[in-house]
Amino acid sequence: MILIGEDLNVMTGKISRVIKEREAGPIQECVAGQTKNGMDYLDVNVGPVKKDPEGTMEWLINMVQDVTDLPLSLDTTNPVAMEAGLKVCKKKALINSASGTTESRETMLPLAAKYSTDVVLSVINDAGLPADADERAASIMDSAAFANELGIPNENIWVDPVLLPIGVDQRQVTSYLEFIQMLQDLLPGARSTCGLSNLSYGAPRELKSLLNRTFLVMIAKYGQHSAIVSGFDQELIRLIRGEMPEIVELIYRAMDEADMDLSALSQKELEYVKTTQVLMGKSLYSHSWLEV
Amino acid sequence: MNFDPPLEKISVNIREAVLGQGEKAVKIGGENTLPFHSFEGSLPNSAGLALEVLDMQPDNWAPSVLEPFEDVVSDPVKWAKKCAEVYGAEMLCLRLLSTDPMGKDGSPEEAAEITKKVTDAVDVPFIVWGTDMEEKDAQVLIQVARVCSGKNLLLGPVVKGNYEEIAKAALEHGHAIVAQASMDANLTKELNIALCKFFPPEKIVVDPTASALGYGLEYTFSIIEEIKQFGLVDKDKMMQMPILCDFGGDCWRTKEAKESREQGILWEATTGITFLLAGANLLIFRHPEALKLIKEMVI
Repeated sequence: MILIGEDLNVMTGKISRVIKEREAGPIQECVAGQTKNGMDYLDVNVGPVKKDPEGTMEWLINMVQDVTDLPLSLDTTNPVAMEAGLKVCKKKALINSASGTTESRETMLPLAAKYSTDVVLSVINDAGLPADADERAASIMDSAAFANELGIPNENIWVDPVLLPIGVDQRQVTSYLEFIQMLQDLLPGARSTCGLSNLSYGAPRELKSLLNRTFLVMIAKYGQHSAIVSGFDQELIRLIRGEMPEIVELIYRAMDEADMDLSALSQKELEYVKTTQVLMGKSLYSHSWLEV
Repeated sequence: MNFDPPLEKISVNIREAVLGQGEKAVKIGGENTLPFHSFEGSLPNSAGLALEVLDMQPDNWAPSVLEPFEDVVSDPVKWAKKCAEVYGAEMLCLRLLSTDPMGKDGSPEEAAEITKKVTDAVDVPFIVWGTDMEEKDAQVLIQVARVCSGKNLLLGPVVKGNYEEIAKAALEHGHAIVAQASMDANLTKELNIALCKFFPPEKIVVDPTASALGYGLEYTFSIIEEIKQFGLVDKDKMMQMPILCDFGGDCWRTKEAKESREQGILWEATTGITFLLAGANLLIFRHPEALKLIKEMVI
């Protein structure tokens, strides 16, 4: 599983300020920390960059590359900033992200072809977010065919099935699971990614990472290629790197077994099992899912 | 050749809630099948049908829904008696409009006294409803719980912000409660989990906040269906409470209802039967004719 560190993000107030003031210290600290923790890629989320997109991107990417050798995922909705960033990336970059919308087809996907980069392609299209797994399939087939025609091979496409918060729509989480299992048949060679933290948006703060970690193990089982995750969640990293095989095994069992015997489990194991059951759609989500 | 129809047997029940006391107590819920699926399982209790009584004269009711109560609107005891004796309501919902902080803002003590008088005078089960104002409802319903101790009233609405205090008083004084979470199955479950830590689940009725025809009835329909399916099909214990729908206010605010008595009655009855089809267990009606129509249809 390829882990993409999400922490260099302009949505965090602090990062937004230091980018504006061209202050390298905190940014390099964030980059170095995630690199040390074993991320495979780093996401550089700069938002729409309205002011001086070219200068900002060039400065930021160069400075990030001063302290890390990791490849970068460039995360901006502004095509001008995207192109400026791609020009200075030393390694094959990941464009984060394109979609099936007309606008994205006209602006983002051509950049992926021009610079021969990888590109995140979400299942969103002009009609919005598909309602279920089959609609996701239809949408991505269409967008990927368009990308192929531009000269982008499946291997460069990182499909984003779009993960919605479980507290908003639990069925969207189960259709994500359905879809990710279909993906290799739909687009052989294509990779996949998702914004993992979105899953727990709105959930109680202390329980967010439990949701995120459990789900990541689940989708890894179903062949998920990569995910954008917190580069500082040590337990998540250990789980994915094979350092907690008992918990992974337990989550797999909870995915497959209908009536699991919960009596011999420790508190922590019980939490992982209950969370798996909620994420599988076996029981209805509520913020107090651990309390039942 | 024998034909065995494919039936879906469900191994769990919606909890049966007993409301009121004595001979006229009403049982709701208890089914182990989807609404009206009597060919697949058992539906031991027909839906509870309550008629509304206000503790003061309303100033905004459409004339044709006020008309059946014209001679009793100034006296809640007489109003309640008329509903039970003349209109045959097996259950009443006393709405404590006098306590509305945006209106008369009457005291909890007065409201509790009125409730006591009304519930003493008429021996059917009572739902006692506040004014959907979180803080005031807590004060009022706690006082009602005390003054009417042991009457097994159904007190509501109880919401996320006031459930602890009201449910504690209800528990102490032997009442049931209506747990209300607005149009959201996840939040319904959340509130039930919180309540069930100290409150008996068989004394909880859930209210998804019903919207009448023209106000988002389709959405309410889906939420009721969802709650019922989670409870019965997915066997989710926290979703096995009977469901209440309160929609008279919505119905009689429509232009159609205000224009014509007949349209209003049909509007209310149509809304009611739709919720029963979705799986509601307890309906609160405003017009006695609407209640009568539903009774003829389902009982």
